[in-house]
Amino acid sequence: MSARAAVRAAWWRVRATFGAGYDRARADAELREELQTHLAMQVEDGIRRGMAPEAARRRALVAAGSLTAAAEAVRAQRGLPWLEGLGRDVRSALRALAARPSFTVTVLLTLALGLGATTAIFTVVDGALLRPLPYPHPERIVRLFTVTPKGGRINFSDPDYDDVRQQSRSFAALAEVGDYGVETVLGPRAALRAHVALVSRDFFRVMGVAPVAGRAFAPEEQQVGGRPAVVVSHGFWRQALGSAPLRGEATVTLEGRAFNVVGVMPPALDYPRGADLWIPRELEAENPHRTGHNFQVLARLDARIPPAQAQRELRGLGARLSRLYAGDTDMRDIALVPLQEHLVGGLRPALLVLLAAAGFLLLIACANVANLVIARLLTRGGELALRLALGASRARLVQQFLVEAFVLALAGGTLGVLVAAAGVRTLLALAPATLPRLTDIHLRWPVLLFALGLSVATALAIGLLAAWRATRADLRSALAQNQRTQAGSSGASLRRGLVVAQVAATMVLLVGAGLLGRSFLRLMHVNPGFRTHDALVLELDVPGAGDADLPRTVSFYDALLERLHALPGVSAAGLTNALPLADGNRGDGDFIILSRPDEIRTIEDFERVGRDRSRVGHAEFRVASAGYFRAMQIPLMRGRLFDERDGPEAPHVAVISTSLAQKRWPGEDPIGKVIEFGNMDMDPRPLTIVGVVGDVRDGSLADAPYPTFYTSYRQRPRRATTAQIVLAGNVETPAVITAARAAVRELRPDVPPQVHTIESVVAGSVGDRRFTLLLVAVFGFAALVLATVGVYGVISYAVAQRRAELGVRMALGARPADVVRLLLGEGVRLSLAGVLAGVVGALALTRLLAGLLFGVGATDPVSFLGVALGLLGAAVLASVIPAWRATGIGPVEVMRS
Amino acid sequence: MGEKLEVRQGTLTLMVLKTLDVLGPLHGYGIARRIEETSGNRLALNYGTLYPALVKLEQEGHIKGEWRASENNRRAKYYALTPAGRKELARETAEWRQTAELIATFFALRPEGA
Repeated sequence: MSARAAVRAAWWRVRATFGAGYDRARADAELREELQTHLAMQVEDGIRRGMAPEAARRRALVAAGSLTAAAEAVRAQRGLPWLEGLGRDVRSALRALAARPSFTVTVLLTLALGLGATTAIFTVVDGALLRPLPYPHPERIVRLFTVTPKGGRINFSDPDYDDVRQQSRSFAALAEVGDYGVETVLGPRAALRAHVALVSRDFFRVMGVAPVAGRAFAPEEQQVGGRPAVVVSHGFWRQALGSAPLRGEATVTLEGRAFNVVGVMPPALDYPRGADLWIPRELEAENPHRTGHNFQVLARLDARIPPAQAQRELRGLGARLSRLYAGDTDMRDIALVPLQEHLVGGLRPALLVLLAAAGFLLLIACANVANLVIARLLTRGGELALRLALGASRARLVQQFLVEAFVLALAGGTLGVLVAAAGVRTLLALAPATLPRLTDIHLRWPVLLFALGLSVATALAIGLLAAWRATRADLRSALAQNQRTQAGSSGASLRRGLVVAQVAATMVLLVGAGLLGRSFLRLMHVNPGFRTHDALVLELDVPGAGDADLPRTVSFYDALLERLHALPGVSAAGLTNALPLADGNRGDGDFIILSRPDEIRTIEDFERVGRDRSRVGHAEFRVASAGYFRAMQIPLMRGRLFDERDGPEAPHVAVISTSLAQKRWPGEDPIGKVIEFGNMDMDPRPLTIVGVVGDVRDGSLADAPYPTFYTSYRQRPRRATTAQIVLAGNVETPAVITAARAAVRELRPDVPPQVHTIESVVAGSVGDRRFTLLLVAVFGFAALVLATVGVYGVISYAVAQRRAELGVRMALGARPADVVRLLLGEGVRLSLAGVLAGVVGALALTRLLAGLLFGVGATDPVSFLGVALGLLGAAVLASVIPAWRATGIGPVEVMRS
Repeated sequence: MGEKLEVRQGTLTLMVLKTLDVLGPLHGYGIARRIEETSGNRLALNYGTLYPALVKLEQEGHIKGEWRASENNRRAKYYALTPAGRKELARETAEWRQTAELIATFFALRPEGA
């Protein structure tokens, strides 16, 4: 048969099956007519040959074979019979599922919940954590750190960077990156806040991105005194520049200088995170000191060099530099970290915990579905045996079950996809801002198909297994089972096992949630050392061209604080350059305790005296106003705060935190000590300590307070061009917010403020934990629901199975309460087994949570006990309902049936 | 005469084509009669094998069916060979001949040393 004929035949059959343009009724009628004609002709022939009409007819029928069989055979040839059979199976499956709505709905919801939740969390974890960065060969992009003698990893100094660049052979490109954070810039239409970064010559080569419009920097823009140019991010180009085509005239003003917009980067480029503007690092002169650690270093590995080899080379290089410049350098070693690792490493434990939780939930959901499917099969045992006895082929019955399972799985999977889509949206809405690549996470086809495929595979596996077993039954025992009942058959014990497993898994999830919850509560109870209610924070970035602008900035702050303090409802107003627990402008360094005020005049003096470690201390350097401590309710422990005496021309004063006083001057009075801390803001004037204030939690609630050194903004304004102003009192009202904004606008319209409440600052600092806790709690709750349904299902089934037995018992005088107790006992036994198994599992697994816990151990008995009791309670409740209904069984009617 | 042979569908289609080629357009009963006669009544043919084969040939485009009045003025469906069918007949005939020759060669083999 030629290919063309085969195709024609196939096309015919497809058309016939699906009916379009094919009139099945007419074809059937014609076939009947044709066969009748054949028969009639055969009879005529027989008569012509001399047979009696009846005999002829009989012979004709015998010779021709059965008409209906022929018609069947033709129809089989005409259409696609297996497909039509499948179609019938699907229709009957839908009917059967509709006839048992409680079963169908339960399975669908279980599948949807399990699949949807798992897919949603997997999408988020994959998008944030597992997916490679959107740059070419992202595994080759690395970050280099200077390793200090104490093992800390810090930024690079310019001379060290130059040395590495010249002497290392492992990299295709190296670049310095300075993250300036959010600053006030002047766009073409208005002042706005943008995230600015300084990047050196090869930065775009390191990242492997090319501009989507315009160009990157030209050499004459990449030198001191060069023409100021800026490359903008895609988002900034869209929002602030209105996606206007670059014609060379657009400028952005930064620090009083106008930068020409020369290029637009693709949306994929997101380093530093959230960066809007990149300007050339080369516009600033290099800092010749090896102790000025100002820049991050990013690099792209040469394709032929594996990271381990590069690390080895850098180690050698670091050791060499350390020896060569001993005393002038902080470098002991150089560390190399893949960029992806660096960006997401911190969140990995939490996200993996969530993945594990989702996995548990999926298992529980599958167990539930398996349970329900098996239960249904068991109740149909009699029907199946009957059909088998009447000649149905086993394969046919199994096919029917598979079709039913498939239909369920497809429907459940589709619902699951909807749940997943909603779930991803919800997760992203609740996610902390620190979640990597937050804007780029969405449901993707491979994951959806995987989820769908998983559901189908699960259902088919369960369906196949169950159907095979069910169709093995022989008629007598199956019929007998329907009428007289005994507790216990292998199906029932499988179901019990599944329920125990479900309860155990739920236990593990809930214990995890409990531990995280207690940690969170403990954390929120930590006293941060400052006011956490009834305060507003105004974030300001004052643009300026340098020292010449500082007096103007200082008088701006003076005037603003006065105005804000005068607003109704404001009880105190203060300023700082880095609010605790917020993302800020932190800076820390070594200071020197002076023996006389003029001991140090130059950087060399500083370095010389600094070698005597008994004269050196280390602290966070902050700038604040007198009102700050009052506004933040940070108590004064000794001495005094800043006041009117401490003007710009007066001797510089400082206030230190209690932990610094205790650490550096234990047993002594630090008041009156003279400190040199000019390395932080290039102001060599010494500072005298005049007061000691309370500690605050700065980095996070979980970390110990940092030793902190506060200077006054009126004397040391250089580091206070970014400021957070705190307004305390009855201020969290729209009226005050509007008035505050207006005050800023009147004084400096080129400084747009950002307003937060103090609560949001504190809440933001625990955003990660809250997110993890929320998710694990949701999973735990979902698992609880599923497990409860599981217990309910098993007990209900037991009741149904043991109807006769229970009826007999009650006829023999058992009271309803006894029956309830009997069934309840079964439920409790199952749950107890599950809880114990769960305890074992939880003890083994919660140690993996250790990094996320605060103030509670991984085996905290309160959490374990609480969850165990709660779970048992839920299981008891789930058993009570069917048990109670069992008492409604009239003994007589059971005997009769 | 021995037992009747079951006719296989692959060979049946060839016989139908050849019959139509020799006798011209014919209805289903006529084809069946002719095949039985030609085989000397050695083949057992029933509706269940013949009619599906006719449908198949029609689907493949080798024959075409048409309702006409028969000799006795009875309405019957007559099948006729199409040009494609003629080509197929020639092809299958050649194939059979080749197969038969090949088999004959093997049957002609004698055990060695006889």
